[in-house]
Amino acid sequence: MDIKKEDFNEKIKTCLQNEPSFCTAVCPFHLDIHDFIPKMQRGRFNAAYRTYLNAVVFPNIVSELCHEPCKKVCPRSSKDEAINMKLLEKASIKFARNLEPNSYNMPPKNKKVAIVGAGISGLSCALRLASKKYDVTVFEKSGRIGGHLWDLSEPEIFLNDIERQFKNEKYTLCLNKEVINLEELKEKYDAVYVATGKDGSNFGLKRNFNGAFASNTPGIFMGGMLCGKNIVESIADGIYAVNAIERYIKTGNMNQEEEKNDTKIKINADFITEVEPVMPSDDGTYTSENAVEEAKRCLRCSCDACIRHCDLMKYYGKYPKRIGEEVHITVHPGTLDGNGTVATRLISTCNQCGLCKDVCPERIDTGEYLLQSHREMREKGAMPWAFHDFWLRDMEFANGEKTALCKIPKGFDKSKYAFFPGCQLGASDYRYVIKSYEYLLKQNPDTAIMLNCCGAPAEWAGDEPIHRGVIETIRNCWLSTGKPTVIFACTTCRKMFNKYLPEISGIFLYELMEKGNINIDCANANEKASVFDPCTSRDEPALQNSVRALSSKGGFELEPLSHEGKYAKCCSWGGQVSVANPSYSKEVVKARLSQSINPYIAYCSNCRDIFALTGKNVYHILDIVFNLNDSNRKPPTFTERRKNRVLLKQKIIKDIFNEEIMEQKDSKTKLIIEEELKEKLSSEMILETEIEEVIEHCEREGKKVLDGGSGHFIGHLKIGTMTYWVEYDVCGDHCYTLYNAYAHRMSIEES
Amino acid sequence: MTEKKIICFKCNKELVPKKTYFNYLEHSFFTDILSCPDCGEVFISEELVKGRISEVEMQLEDK
Repeated sequence: MDIKKEDFNEKIKTCLQNEPSFCTAVCPFHLDIHDFIPKMQRGRFNAAYRTYLNAVVFPNIVSELCHEPCKKVCPRSSKDEAINMKLLEKASIKFARNLEPNSYNMPPKNKKVAIVGAGISGLSCALRLASKKYDVTVFEKSGRIGGHLWDLSEPEIFLNDIERQFKNEKYTLCLNKEVINLEELKEKYDAVYVATGKDGSNFGLKRNFNGAFASNTPGIFMGGMLCGKNIVESIADGIYAVNAIERYIKTGNMNQEEEKNDTKIKINADFITEVEPVMPSDDGTYTSENAVEEAKRCLRCSCDACIRHCDLMKYYGKYPKRIGEEVHITVHPGTLDGNGTVATRLISTCNQCGLCKDVCPERIDTGEYLLQSHREMREKGAMPWAFHDFWLRDMEFANGEKTALCKIPKGFDKSKYAFFPGCQLGASDYRYVIKSYEYLLKQNPDTAIMLNCCGAPAEWAGDEPIHRGVIETIRNCWLSTGKPTVIFACTTCRKMFNKYLPEISGIFLYELMEKGNINIDCANANEKASVFDPCTSRDEPALQNSVRALSSKGGFELEPLSHEGKYAKCCSWGGQVSVANPSYSKEVVKARLSQSINPYIAYCSNCRDIFALTGKNVYHILDIVFNLNDSNRKPPTFTERRKNRVLLKQKIIKDIFNEEIMEQKDSKTKLIIEEELKEKLSSEMILETEIEEVIEHCEREGKKVLDGGSGHFIGHLKIGTMTYWVEYDVCGDHCYTLYNAYAHRMSIEES
Repeated sequence: MTEKKIICFKCNKELVPKKTYFNYLEHSFFTDILSCPDCGEVFISEELVKGRISEVEMQLEDK
């Protein structure tokens, strides 16, 4: 069930955000491709060369001799072909404007380091130390520098590279000077690096594996081919040995941590798009255009699954760790007046779709953490009420006397099944529920009906007391109908039942329809469409298949979307975040719609109505099954949604159960509102019933003003927590023409 | 009655700016709002609601 917040704080430590990419991990120099590749991709060869130079010290030698361990681990190697880093590195050298080394103006360190062996490992160590302004002396028993390089490379390549890189640095080179024992050096120098090469003397030293490059004698380090490394690894040893030497000089400890050669990141090959590798020119090198092209193939691997998939993390550009920190100081602010609550809106922006956990290799559940933080904020009264006020009132209405229903058909005292359509399906079009229930009754005449909200709005508002009340009502209805198997039309309802009413078994309406081989007229023969899986269907593959089967049966030619099945994403409804963060909600809708120009087939009425509101052609699967609406049906306004719910209950009682309905008293007030204004009111979540209440108040109390410009009355009233303003005119007895309405959250302190 | 003036229906007086207190999320503040000099009936335009009021609401929510 719920994870505790402390668990999240522990779990977040396993986040792999800072783990290196595969190639960086195995590269002897740990060349940071997140720095190198973007520069290459933009054709900034000089900048890329600087990154490369800083990592490898001798760029010409390394790019010539590198054994390319990165190629074996590149995820592209299993898809198309590994990134050709060697040619990219060569290209960075070839096209760089300035190959000269940097000159560092720093004061001398006043510490002396001796290096035994002027092979390339000793020289790379000497160069890095000299650039940090240590006093470096290199002892070489032969009469030349380069050591083993003479067997592997052309002297003009490596000697030129060595000369160029040492151009700005001073060091003492003692050729033809064989060190016989290290005692004398130990006394004269602060540290010694022994790199005498393959088959070179180790002076009886042994490696001490408690520290990188450490020997069993304090102050003496060893590396390179002497320790069994190849030529390129030996260069890297010389560079990294500097860290161990500096640590020893500063602290006297030989316990520098070994560099990591592995990474915990994982890449899902499903998301790699094949791109043909770029071929070099005849001379075996890249042109500048080729280099840019090849660099663009790089996936820049990192563990960023969460930020790539999660709309919230992408919108805020924040990883779970940062979110965890910001949420923590928001819930536990450091000041008494609660300043610094930086993440209040972020907490309220989570769609609660659970994708963050599903795509995280460590299963870090940021969504659940945000939900728990939301609850804490609400309990403390620190969460702005406005974020969920409308939805909680909407839920209250859906669970109220006019709309809620828990009933077994006449002649039965208990039911094997109960239909739980959810509060939004009938609000969208009451016929969705009526037709479905009629179908279900034909299969099983004892099927009960449960018209109720599943409690999701209270869950998302973090309001546990209200939520518990809703769950209790549902449980009581279920018990009173004989513990039936519940038939769901909404995946969110199903998810809520799984979480809070696990004792209730359930099945989806659409699975029953498919298994029951429901008859569908092929009115839409061969129309192309894409099924839009709601985020709450992610763990329901059977349901997803059923909806596709029903759609195909309805004559549709289905094309997949980029995010569907187990990667289904939220339409923006989840968490009811649109009040807290309207611009985020719009972004999410836009992203979901950008997947295809095909009409969508939705099986969550919220997905359908949200998309339809933008003008997108969207069917509900029940439009297809029962041939009800075309894909261009405008979604009802919030006022119409409430009316639909009332109608639904009345129709079920009257038309299905053939019972008398309690006469509903219609309001005496008649409003004349143009269509366009109705849409505006709905977009601002203002209900016509609220407008009526304001006008009735203004007329009764005479509390209104006259706008001299338009001649209209304007009045206001605080209803609950919101203050509503209404501009109207009287057009008859209890008849009013509405010209405008608007609302605000702050209250006017009126005397 | 001059055009564009806002008149209190009850008192038939033109509304004039008056210091008015507001509160939201336990914060209290004031600004000048058109009010009836006699009965105190107020008027806030949609422009003000969608502009400054909405801005302040957002700021307080993020505070």
